[in-house]
Amino acid sequence: MNPYWDEDEGDDGADSMVRPYTITRGRTAPRRDDFTLITLLTTVQEPVDAYGAPVRPGRLQPEHRMILDRCRTPAAVAEVAADLDLPVSVTKILLGDLVEQGLLTARAPIAVARAAGGADRGLLAAVREGLRRL
Amino acid sequence: MTTTQAGAAAVKILIAGGFGVGKTTMVGAVSEVAPLRTEEYLTTASVGVDDLAGVDQKDTTTVALDFGRITVSPELVVYLFGTPGQERFWFMWNDLVNGALGGIVIADTRRLETSFASIDFFESRGIPFVVAINCFHGVNTRSAAEIRAALDLDPHVPMLVGDVRERPFGRDALLALVDHLMALPVAG
Repeated sequence: MNPYWDEDEGDDGADSMVRPYTITRGRTAPRRDDFTLITLLTTVQEPVDAYGAPVRPGRLQPEHRMILDRCRTPAAVAEVAADLDLPVSVTKILLGDLVEQGLLTARAPIAVARAAGGADRGLLAAVREGLRRL
Repeated sequence: MTTTQAGAAAVKILIAGGFGVGKTTMVGAVSEVAPLRTEEYLTTASVGVDDLAGVDQKDTTTVALDFGRITVSPELVVYLFGTPGQERFWFMWNDLVNGALGGIVIADTRRLETSFASIDFFESRGIPFVVAINCFHGVNTRSAAEIRAALDLDPHVPMLVGDVRERPFGRDALLALVDHLMALPVAG
């Protein structure tokens, strides 16, 4: 055994890079790129297609099922990633699969960009009300 | 804890500041859940390396961030993201930065300089923020005016002094941010 080779073992990143993208079957980018850290996801209770027929899930991996369980109450992308202990980018790929199949709905964050006029007053008032109860 | 409905939407607030100033502590003090941790891979082009190859050298870095949540109503959730300690990385994390309602910059009176970069960043990106001065055990050796001068804060930027471990201080800092947002002229 060559001791010099051993120095490469445990190099951070090497192991952790490979496994997550195995879960996505090698895909490194989601088909849709509009997920943000706080996009809220909700599992569709009885998914039906455009014609009202029940959706039969395609190939689901254990991680997909975990997501569907988790999102019975709405959860943000970041929360799902934390619960699955997967990087955000990997989680987004799995979420994309489920949204595409109609098993999960995604709700974009509220737009608050200053350039677009900033957050609306009603929103800020609601946030303030909520914070006061802390 | 309020239950969120399927129609709920979210906003986020960034909790920034230098390494070890108490970002995760503040998130934990106000969050309804224990701070969660998530990771992201960021691809960063390294500059000045291997120019002759004619190909950009790319490095992948794993950045971790801690976050919490406050369900303010069945329709509205506020997520609090403590920015990662490695400043040069979170500055490039567009998904983390884009669409933030605003920020809280935590600063430690014993080493204010560690929070300069966060202040500069919010200013340059036009993200409204307030400054929360963290005084562990209530020990504060400097006056508010001295701290403002040292941080080179614009007069309109609110500044609070307190202990980030205490929920009322975190709440007050968040309320100060919301009041600051309401006081800003409507852009556009």
